[in-house]
Amino acid sequence: MERSRGGLGRFAFVGPTLVLLIAFNLFPLLYNVVLSFTNAELVGDGWKWIGGRNYERVFTDARFGAAVRRTAWFVFCAVGLELGIGFATALALQAFTRVRAVLVTALLIPMMLSPAVMGLFWNLILNGNHGITNQTLDALSLPQPQWLTDREWKLFSVILIDVWMWTPFLMLISMAGLAAIPKTLYEAAEVDRASRWTVFRRVTLPLVAPYLGLAVLLRFTDALKQFDLVMATQGPNDTSTQTLSTLLYQVTFRDGKVGLGSAYACVILVLVIALATVFTRYLETIQRRTA
Amino acid sequence: MKILQGAVVVLYALFALLPLLWLGITSIKDRDAAISPHAKVIPVLTAPNDPTSVGFVPQLDAFRGLSEVHAGAHASFWEHVTSSVVIGFVSTAASVLLGAACAYGFSRYRIGGAKDWLFFILSTRFMPPLAVVIPVLLMYRKLELPGTHLGLIILYTVFNLSLSVWLMKGFIDEIPKAFEEAAFVDGYTRFDAFWRIIVPQSATGMAVTGVFCLISAWNEYGFAMTLNSSSAVTVPAYFAGLQGNIEGMPWPQVAAGALVFVAPVAVLTFLVRKHLLRGVTFGTIKQ
Repeated sequence: MERSRGGLGRFAFVGPTLVLLIAFNLFPLLYNVVLSFTNAELVGDGWKWIGGRNYERVFTDARFGAAVRRTAWFVFCAVGLELGIGFATALALQAFTRVRAVLVTALLIPMMLSPAVMGLFWNLILNGNHGITNQTLDALSLPQPQWLTDREWKLFSVILIDVWMWTPFLMLISMAGLAAIPKTLYEAAEVDRASRWTVFRRVTLPLVAPYLGLAVLLRFTDALKQFDLVMATQGPNDTSTQTLSTLLYQVTFRDGKVGLGSAYACVILVLVIALATVFTRYLETIQRRTA
Repeated sequence: MKILQGAVVVLYALFALLPLLWLGITSIKDRDAAISPHAKVIPVLTAPNDPTSVGFVPQLDAFRGLSEVHAGAHASFWEHVTSSVVIGFVSTAASVLLGAACAYGFSRYRIGGAKDWLFFILSTRFMPPLAVVIPVLLMYRKLELPGTHLGLIILYTVFNLSLSVWLMKGFIDEIPKAFEEAAFVDGYTRFDAFWRIIVPQSATGMAVTGVFCLISAWNEYGFAMTLNSSSAVTVPAYFAGLQGNIEGMPWPQVAAGALVFVAPVAVLTFLVRKHLLRGVTFGTIKQ
């Protein structure tokens, strides 16, 4: 069967999706670029061209630099912890093949839940006075940080909730990587009397690496957009937890500066698109290696 | 080694599951027990005399309270659930159908630059919703779509297309072409083949894809809070709106609502457990 029968036929299948994506993704992106050169505001219709002044403001705004650094730090800590804990748990679960199926499904639940709703509930868990975390720490005579109000702990709390939500994701993919390692390699290593550490370093780690790479990549692009958990715990204006997305929200919806917000959005998009392009290409390589 | 592994599993399980247990416990408390300075952990039948006791009397008032309209909100929890259900299901049906058709096109036709198109489709998923929300809002104002079910349905349909196309392509690629070839001999057109062979053959795939689309529409917050803040408000945006409520957070009701809201997702997770890996990696890893 030749694959290319009917020129119009294929457009009927592929077309609607592409048209929708162009209308609701590509077009807004271009519209965004246009708006970023205007002084448009959230209320009222009129706007006029103001050239590159919005961009000047973005790059001289101390909040922007701080939000970039904070978002980078957040992504690094959250994804790093998720990778460490998720991979360690996947390795540990290898010893319990019989109870695994049910337990694993239960452990995966947090990543499927709504970050906005669960993030809100974490406010009660971490509350300094009537939260169960500090009440437990008190019972154990341990120090009780003010998780949600102390500047030093606020961002850590957001990281903690993110780690709670997304470690299952790293765990799931790690388990798939571990399961894909051919048993014969371990048998061969046993014949060679290789030490456990050598086997881990020479067999397990290199073979799981592409899976971990894929997981980190998907998490990374997602964590970069962090919005829901910050909104749920601190709101958009808090200076010690403001990420790029919440800064954008503050500028556009709290200050009502649509033109300036669009300039922020464009700069953020260039960052995200650059990273995403590198990553989607890398994804192809990984896809080939895990297939 | 096994002891160490056991310890890691137990510690992690506690971290992952205790917050969910606490959600359940909080939902059967009254407000005083929920924000008591002394932890109330164990449900007991008679009210303890000692205020520092860990016991509390369980009750279901919080679940009854879900039909109340709280300060700072326009409608009760259940009305927001209705919005979430309508928006979630309609957008999911649209995403799965469009995604399946698109995936079929890419799977069976030779399309110039197919790989680039597929990566373009995937890249739309990486975009921060907040970065496109301004132009979308302005477009929507012209079309009178903010605050309507239709507005979010369109956005969620589009947002989930990337996931749907990639997942469905994996499923459709697995269907042998021989089925269609036999049908073409019988005079089927491409469209007949799609409806009568591909759709039934990929029913499992469509169900799995549907679950993932539904969950992501169900949980979405960024678009929901910016576009639908006063009407057709979905549950995540409704809960967030309760913050800063002058009467203080109604924690037992929040917990009861959150429980009602996340329970279906937990059930769905269990149902698609064999396909979770595929779903969360856009079909890149198949097992």
